[in-house]
Amino acid sequence: MIIDSAVRLRTAGNWAQIKAWLAAWQRLGIGHAIVAPADAQATIANEEGNTQLARLMRRYPKQISGLAVANPWRGTEAVALLEKAFDNGLSGLYLCPPRQGFRLTESIVDPLLKVCHRRRKPVYSHTGTPICSEPLQLAELARRFPEITFIMGHGGYPDFWYDVAPALRQAPNLMLETSCQMAAVIQQALDAVGPDRILFGSGFPRSKPDFEIRKIQTMGLPAKTLTKIMAMNAMRCWGICL
Amino acid sequence: MKIIDAHTHLPGWSFGSQPRPIRELRREFEEQGLGGAWLFTTDGLVGESVKNNDILAKAVADHRDFFAPFCTVDPLCGAKAALRELDRAKHKLGMRGVKLHPWLQRFSMTNPAMEPIFKHAGKLGLPVLLHDGTPPYASSLQIAALAEKAPQTIIILGHAGLDDQYEDAILACRRHANIYLCLCSNSCGYVEEIIRRCPVQRLLFGSDGGFLPNLIALAIAKLRATDAPATVLRRIFHDNPLSLVPLPEHKLGRQRRQLFHR
Repeated sequence: MIIDSAVRLRTAGNWAQIKAWLAAWQRLGIGHAIVAPADAQATIANEEGNTQLARLMRRYPKQISGLAVANPWRGTEAVALLEKAFDNGLSGLYLCPPRQGFRLTESIVDPLLKVCHRRRKPVYSHTGTPICSEPLQLAELARRFPEITFIMGHGGYPDFWYDVAPALRQAPNLMLETSCQMAAVIQQALDAVGPDRILFGSGFPRSKPDFEIRKIQTMGLPAKTLTKIMAMNAMRCWGICL
Repeated sequence: MKIIDAHTHLPGWSFGSQPRPIRELRREFEEQGLGGAWLFTTDGLVGESVKNNDILAKAVADHRDFFAPFCTVDPLCGAKAALRELDRAKHKLGMRGVKLHPWLQRFSMTNPAMEPIFKHAGKLGLPVLLHDGTPPYASSLQIAALAEKAPQTIIILGHAGLDDQYEDAILACRRHANIYLCLCSNSCGYVEEIIRRCPVQRLLFGSDGGFLPNLIALAIAKLRATDAPATVLRRIFHDNPLSLVPLPEHKLGRQRRQLFHR
């Protein structure tokens, strides 16, 4: 079974569409997906996004885990939003600096990270867009909060492929999510830090699950490594028990 | 249908790579599914452009049926030297186009040599493909602004804006009839959107093959994973690149040629 650590949901209220996606993912062998709100819900309508995802998780508990959004610029309100989302069962925090308008190195995000630390929740961040979400900026954050697990979404794609392995080496609590990034760069990360810190992600709808699965399969990895990347690491990271 | 890749590189000494025999490179490209490729220097984008044009021309001398070599020039050497090299590349080396990489070659589109280079390439009938999608020197709209001044020259955004600037690339392509997009390295969902919103006759397939292993096969799989119909894929994979840069073995029928001139 595959666990997909990178799905963004654009139509959380459209049950028919969601049902169709889940069926399609199942056909590809994806048994569980880590889903985060997208677009306006990731940026301004955070509460709406979190609530819809919590509802989705309740409806499909075996297939979906949700990530909470809370725009750091909302200050104490964001902290309350995040606490509430975790109370409702969401599994981690999703940061999207280019959409939410902050740099990963700004202390404005610290109050949210303190909540994640206290509640033992991982933090997934979009990376790859300068000047706000580069792999080394996330590594810097990971070094400041060494007890939180951070996930480098899309592996710095497109232009920061050369920073992926150096960033992973800097912070042992930093993991790589594979969507969009080139197979050769994922291999470099494997060579640098081994198979325990890499998570499969489809990046849907930015990318497509069938293509992303094929990308990993064509790397010719040993079965044990493949199992870790496609499922085991995600189960450990997100605390999934299936 | 043979797939023509409009964005590949001759491996050189740069980026931890090393040169490889062209016969071996061709075999690898063919095994990954190509029937032809536009081939650019790699080493020439980080220095010694003239020398590397010679190396590229020599490498493909016996493989002109498969490889269409693109020269590069160094705008930092000034317009006069760049235009002289364009003439030499076209007439003496038989180059089929121009590849520029503002980021690696460390020039901005406002460099005074750039407008003459664009215009002269157009006069010589050479399409110009540029790396794009990477600010601050290679943003899609920076290139489009200069393309507007050379409307007779075919300008190809070599990465269709990558993932951060694909929206800009779409706008540039829709606004300027001389701008083509090479679907190279954009994520699958964005490729779909580009195909939906841009004139299909100005879209090309590209992979960056030769730069890293196995890029071509995955790039082909990515384009095939989109919802684009087979007729559209045929134009992107085959017809469009051949209409810009014909290869000896690949002839377009009369009917198809007329289609492109509409």
